[in-house]
Parts: sequence; structure tokens; C-alpha cells
Amino acid sequence: MKKAIMAAALFAFAQTAEAKPISYVGGVMAMQENDETGHTLSLDYTFDPHYAVGLYAKEEENGKHYTTIGPQLNTLIQRWNLPDGQANIFNSTGAGVSRFHGENNAAAWTSMLADYETRRIFTSYEARFTYADHIENAFWQRARVGFAPYAANYDDVATWFMVQVDDHPTKNDTWVVTPLVRFFYKTTLVEAGYSSNHHLMANWVLQF
Amino acid sequence: MRKLLFALIMLMIISNAAYAETIKAKVNGLVCAFCATGIEKTFKAQPAVSDVKVDLEKKLVTIDTKSLQGLDDATITKLLTDAGYTVTDITREK
Repeated sequence: MKKAIMAAALFAFAQTAEAKPISYVGGVMAMQENDETGHTLSLDYTFDPHYAVGLYAKEEENGKHYTTIGPQLNTLIQRWNLPDGQANIFNSTGAGVSRFHGENNAAAWTSMLADYETRRIFTSYEARFTYADHIENAFWQRARVGFAPYAANYDDVATWFMVQVDDHPTKNDTWVVTPLVRFFYKTTLVEAGYSSNHHLMANWVLQF
Repeated sequence: MRKLLFALIMLMIISNAAYAETIKAKVNGLVCAFCATGIEKTFKAQPAVSDVKVDLEKKLVTIDTKSLQGLDDATITKLLTDAGYTVTDITREK
């Protein structure tokens, strides 16, 4: 019950994720996340304003140590382009293989991501379900809230200060808070942070 | 012959410059420079475009074209929609 209340509060508090899983038609996006949950690498190609296909790979840590890889489809379910902001709801769904103790097992995952941002405020929430046969079935959620100390224009380096909250019951540390700083300039985005369970975060996203 | 060729080239350059225009598109949702790089990439890939500038403060995309035939409003709207944004107004200056 306590978890459900906290999850609801988290959802109400902020919506998330590192970067939008869909860019522009014809665009390719490479993203790597290194944090207390492990190491994630994804490569996505946007072929329609609402769809992108890609490859997703993750090495899970801080719990069962296993690796998952497979193709995924990213869908823009809804976008609100506002005069001073933008809000989105995305889904990412994929299937592939999880390797654990030298054995390959079927795997599938789906996540819902909602975000809202202006030039000074960022909020996001992501809920992810992962099925890895004979390994674990996991529910994971992440919320993020951030602010920019100045409203960067297109040719400026943008700076954001953010706080990320993770709830992943299958990991050793269930609730984790990570303050982080984000910089981006044109097609390059980098993030660095340090989590409450003493792990460094280092993420990057490149657009081509 | 050289003079004729020179005159023809100059005529082409002058007529092309005369037809070049600046298009200003007001856009909703333009808040993140990282996301808006798609606008620059999309328009720079168009043969008719000589330059494109994005202004987050004014929510404005400014497109300089090489000739009048280059980009009609429908094409501009489609390119900006494909990049993820909503066009609210398009104006043209010669």
C-alpha cells in the first residue's frame, strides 16, 4: 500500500526519461546510459513522425546480473505542441533475448514515458515492465524533475539541474535518488550525476 | 563568346538572387534546442534552401531560399510537422 501511494505520488509529482525516443523523420539517435541500474545502449531510426525502430541492449547490475538485447519499436502516442512548452506520451516495446549464467532466455519489455518541458522546467515519468523468462519479471519506474538556470537559445550550450528518482523493486537498492546535471549543444547531450546508493551516472545522446 | 557567356552567368545569378526569399515560420512546441536540431537538418537537406535559423526565444524558424519555386507553405508545414512541431503562421519576405 505504501509503495502504491509513493508510486502515485511520484506519478503526480513528475512525468520522465533521458531523451525522447523519437527524433525527426530520417534522424538516427544513439543513446548510452550508465547508472546504478547498469549500462544501456540504444540506437533508433525515426521513419515517421510517430514511429522509430531501433536496437536496445542492457546489462543489468545492482541485482541479478544479466544482459538483454533485441529490437524495439518506439511510438509517439500523443504530442501537445504549446506556445511555451511541449508534452509527449511515448511507448517503447521490444522483444529479444536475455542471457543469464550462460543461458539465453526469451525476453520482452514495454515502457510508457510521459514528459512536459518548457525552456526552464522539465518533468518526466517512465514506467517499464520487463519480462525475462526464468530470470525475473520486473516493474521499474523513474521520475525526473529539473530546471534550467537560464533560457538557452538554439546556438547556446543548455544547462539543466535535475533530480531523478528510481523505484526498481528487483534491484538491491529499491529507491534511489540521483541529482544530476545535463548539458546539451546542438546534436550532443551529456549528463552526469551521483546516486544515493553511491554510483556514478554518465549518460550521452547523439543525433545524426 | 566569352562576354556572352559571362553575361548569361551574371543574368542567371541576378535572376536567382531576385527570386530568393526569406520565409519565417512561427512554431509551437519549440522549447528544446537538442530536439530542434531536426529542423536544421531537415531544411538544410532541401536543395532550395540556402540557410535556416532557429530562434527559441521568438519561436521562429527562418528559412532563406535560393529561388521562389523552392518551398511552398504546404511543404514547409509538412517538414516542420515531420520534425515534430506545429506551424502557426508563415510569412514571406523578398
